Amino acid sequence: MRLSGDNIKKLCGARELSLNALLKRAGVSKTAYYHLIDKKSVLPRSIETLALALGVRPLALLEATDRKSNRALRLLEAVDRIAGSDPSMDRDNVRHTLLLLQEKPIDRLRRSLLRARKLDLQQ
Amino acid sequence: MPENLIFSNKEIAFLRELERQNVDFMLVDAAAAALQGAPVVTQDVDLWFEDLKNPGIQAALRKSGGIMVPSFGQNPVTFAGDAVKLFDIVLTMPGLGSFAEEKKNSFTVRLGSVRVKVLNLDRIIASKEAIRRPKDLVVLPVLRDTLKALRQKKLKKIEPRTSKGRKG
Repeated sequence: MRLSGDNIKKLCGARELSLNALLKRAGVSKTAYYHLIDKKSVLPRSIETLALALGVRPLALLEATDRKSNRALRLLEAVDRIAGSDPSMDRDNVRHTLLLLQEKPIDRLRRSLLRARKLDLQQ
Repeated sequence: MPENLIFSNKEIAFLRELERQNVDFMLVDAAAAALQGAPVVTQDVDLWFEDLKNPGIQAALRKSGGIMVPSFGQNPVTFAGDAVKLFDIVLTMPGLGSFAEEKKNSFTVRLGSVRVKVLNLDRIIASKEAIRRPKDLVVLPVLRDTLKALRQKKLKKIEPRTSKGRKG
């Protein structure tokens, strides 16, 4: 499991945050960041080999330490399960759908209308 | 609810008034897809009316301070007025059956204090596959992924669904 520079840039963009600003806010040096980006895996090798031996994804071996992490982990597991069953599916679409389903329908609608307005302003 | 909130009390009041006037309508297209969990954006909320001549629509508009602007030239019939400007009027859904037929493929969802019919995602996809405008082709993969995710998740409900015709 490697760190995705593209995903980080997308997430920064969605929050109107530059990469430099993010690193400053997180207290992560540029050197450390680019070192992590270059690594083939951010997980300790032992975790990957354990997962491989068990025939599961490394995520299955991780345990959340708080409620928020637990929810995030459960969401990622659901994304894995759903997207894993059909390689043609885009994992981001699945993740966003599952996240939206946690909200009330009216809030889902408001989000879609708000995002359209934001896009309009940016054009 | 703050007045400047998008899709606020005034829009909900209009929908409630349509319901009170027994106007048969359902939400379709991107807004309906968003309600079902599709991560899409939309500029408007499309309302498919069974009969635009239903006097209940005019009554609901009067109550909400809106008007119906007749079609002229290339411009379709639209609503105007603060409470209704977010809504677009749909009279037919390309590639689909009549309103009465597609009503069986809808479900009911609660939007604030009002319950409205929403066309099922698979029917929205079917319509977009029939229209095939560039903007439909762009959004189709997202809608298909959402439908697959919903089916995989075996969601029994997103919101209480009351229509008997609800599939999946």
